[in-house]
Amino acid sequence: MREEKNKREGRKIKIGIEGISKAFPGVKALSDVNLDIYEGEVHALCGENGAGKSTLMKILTGNYLPDQGRILLNDKPVVIRNQAHAQELGISIVYQERSLSGNLTVAENIFTNQQPHNKWGFINKKKLWEQTRLLLQTLDLAIEPNVKVADLSSGLQQMIEIAKALSRNPGILILDEPTASITESETMVLFKVIRELQKKGTSVFYISHRMEEIFQIADRISVLKDGCYQGTFTKQDTSIDEIIRLMVRRELKQARFLSQAKDEVVFEARELTGKGFSDVSFQVFRGEILAFAGLVGAGRTEVARAIFGADPAFFGSISMNGKDLKIGNPSQAIRAGIGYLPEERKEQGLFMNMSIESNIIAGTLDAAAVRSWIHNSKISKIAQIYTNKLGIKSSTVKQKVNELSGGNQQKVVLAKWLLLNPSLLIVDEPTHGVDVGAKMEIYHILHELAKAGTTIILISSELPEILTLSDRILVMRNGRIATELNKRETTEQEILAYASGIYQNTKTEKLLTN
Amino acid sequence: MKRLLRDREVSLSLSIVAICIVASVTWPNIFPTFDNISQLLLNLSIDSIVAVGMMILLISGSFDLSVGSVVAFCGGLTAYLLYYQGMFPLPAILIGLAAAGLVGLLNGYLVAKAGINPMIQTLAMMGIIRGAALMISGSGIQNLPPDFNVFGQSKFLAIQSPVWIMFVVVLIFHLLVSRNIMFRKYYYIGGNEKAAVLSGINVKKLKIIAFVLTSLLAGLAGILLASRLGAALGTSGRGMELRVITAVILGGASLSGGEGKVVGALLGTVFIGVVSNIMIIARVSGYWQDIVLGIILIAAVGMDIAFNRPAGISLKTYLRNLTIS
Repeated sequence: MREEKNKREGRKIKIGIEGISKAFPGVKALSDVNLDIYEGEVHALCGENGAGKSTLMKILTGNYLPDQGRILLNDKPVVIRNQAHAQELGISIVYQERSLSGNLTVAENIFTNQQPHNKWGFINKKKLWEQTRLLLQTLDLAIEPNVKVADLSSGLQQMIEIAKALSRNPGILILDEPTASITESETMVLFKVIRELQKKGTSVFYISHRMEEIFQIADRISVLKDGCYQGTFTKQDTSIDEIIRLMVRRELKQARFLSQAKDEVVFEARELTGKGFSDVSFQVFRGEILAFAGLVGAGRTEVARAIFGADPAFFGSISMNGKDLKIGNPSQAIRAGIGYLPEERKEQGLFMNMSIESNIIAGTLDAAAVRSWIHNSKISKIAQIYTNKLGIKSSTVKQKVNELSGGNQQKVVLAKWLLLNPSLLIVDEPTHGVDVGAKMEIYHILHELAKAGTTIILISSELPEILTLSDRILVMRNGRIATELNKRETTEQEILAYASGIYQNTKTEKLLTN
Repeated sequence: MKRLLRDREVSLSLSIVAICIVASVTWPNIFPTFDNISQLLLNLSIDSIVAVGMMILLISGSFDLSVGSVVAFCGGLTAYLLYYQGMFPLPAILIGLAAAGLVGLLNGYLVAKAGINPMIQTLAMMGIIRGAALMISGSGIQNLPPDFNVFGQSKFLAIQSPVWIMFVVVLIFHLLVSRNIMFRKYYYIGGNEKAAVLSGINVKKLKIIAFVLTSLLAGLAGILLASRLGAALGTSGRGMELRVITAVILGGASLSGGEGKVVGALLGTVFIGVVSNIMIIARVSGYWQDIVLGIILIAAVGMDIAFNRPAGISLKTYLRNLTIS
């Protein structure tokens, strides 16, 4: 905010965000956020997962209405009613998640709502393809307009998303983690495109976790933490360290748990190969927390799902306590003592319309039954014990989980697994979309579990989390284990370097001979 | 009050009682008589038995359009064995039920293991089985043996046997669905199938069982119907699938699964039965029945959306957010 005032006079403010607040049941997603973006500016938005970046952008695109505050577009207050309205106003967004129809062609996807047609509504394919070719050329993409989107790599799909957003010549373009699933050369092309847009006067909101990228592309950087605005800085006046300090709470860095690992192999995978990963071999010890680091799409979730029997493995073997395992489905995995807390809590972990107690008991109904007859009071009793144990904040155990905050929801899923008491628990992004307080509580729960002898495989994209929790780190890249790192000797930078392929795998040989 | 109305079993029971009171006052000599009520119950007993199975399927997030055809086929097959093969009632009934179970097994296997959409699978099966039913019964098999008809035509405590059988079926399945471990899992499957799989629930096996049960109950209903009429018709049970699904949804099930109780299935058919009965008494044209039932269904589901939104959110905002997520 320091020298914003004097700059303000020189440049035209495209969008002003004034005192925006938004609450969801159980969470205050944004409180009193003020920031603006100049015409032709690349404005980066930084913050941890759950800091409110996406919520803020969803307000700009009309998906949410703010509870308080207003938005000024070209100095005039606007109420953005929905995404179509946002597009009319010249605001386009590329979401983190894909919003393409895989069975349609590239051209049809890009021009979904604005395909050239004659007066009877028949689509002019020739013109459509011509327009698509032109647009793809500006992005340096050599893709035919009539290719089906499902046949493209995820990186190319991301570029199609961007092309789709650009097809409307937006005045404001929002990019939410645009480089999460694209290669470095594709990133370079993207940056070139952004520079060109900037010259034409387009304002770009750029959301990313990758600090190097932000400092490469952004003019100014704003930081959000737990829904609160922390300040805006011009690139020259700040540093990566300062931004990270504003984003992260210090407690996170302090707590590094001591290893509880014992010298006893609980689980071993040998040359495991499946869709999205190959030749994955590793061992885990009793009471150990083994982290799988890597970029999104590196194949970590795929490995976990194969071990758990949710997806088939083509090749390789796994063993538990020295005994070979054949696992065809999750219920067999659970019987063998393996648990899996899935990555997408709402889609795969929870029964959103059901009560807390029903969710907690989902895997262990027989614990609440005598000769197959369920005693509902027993369910409540068990659920009560676990809500107390994990500190789940709710009015009663009969409350529906869709009324809980992300952190409490995740604890409900954890409670389900604690009840099943697996000897190997795989947790996939256990603190995704969870506020900082609940995050620390979940760390403690996992640590306590490990202390009690449960072996934990942690899949996480948050490096501080990996450094806090894990005993050992396997870095995956392109479906293979790139290297093994020791927590005590490694740094975030080193992990990232292996994950993105800057360092090559010198240590893998050592790993395989183990 | 609002809380109570949210509970579909409660609001539906109250509606039924209210309608019955109004009808009793309006037609004191026709509606509240023993004959009328017992006829009403007899008429809805066949639908109710089928509705119980349909309710279980809907709880698990599926449904079965072939039940009406199974009713005709199973009744027809049993009648065929009795009339043309001279079989004893018991083996004929068992073979009929086995055939119904087989249809369910096929439906369940193809839906759960081959991943065919239940709508398409059971729609196809509806046509296939209807064809088979018409083939077997021809223009209808009449004059079924009395020792078979006794099954659907006898009375106990002045009430016809199909009504008793309906009550027994509802009672057994109500207990099972509300208290038994296996049946409880259907709520999880309907609530979130992916999460159910990852929680170690054997979703495929349970889905197959649900289809088999539904078909078996439809088979039972078919045999009961044939025995009550003393005849089997290839066309019986036509349109039953949609009527039963209507009743079950009125009774608190949701097409997206995870909701509903067996008692709700009974209340749904009772409600439809009472409304139809009153319209007959009032000499309203039969066409109006379908129109009125359609309106009632939309109203009931609409009220659900209005009542079940999270507390503190206006209906307008809620509907707005619905379309986004």
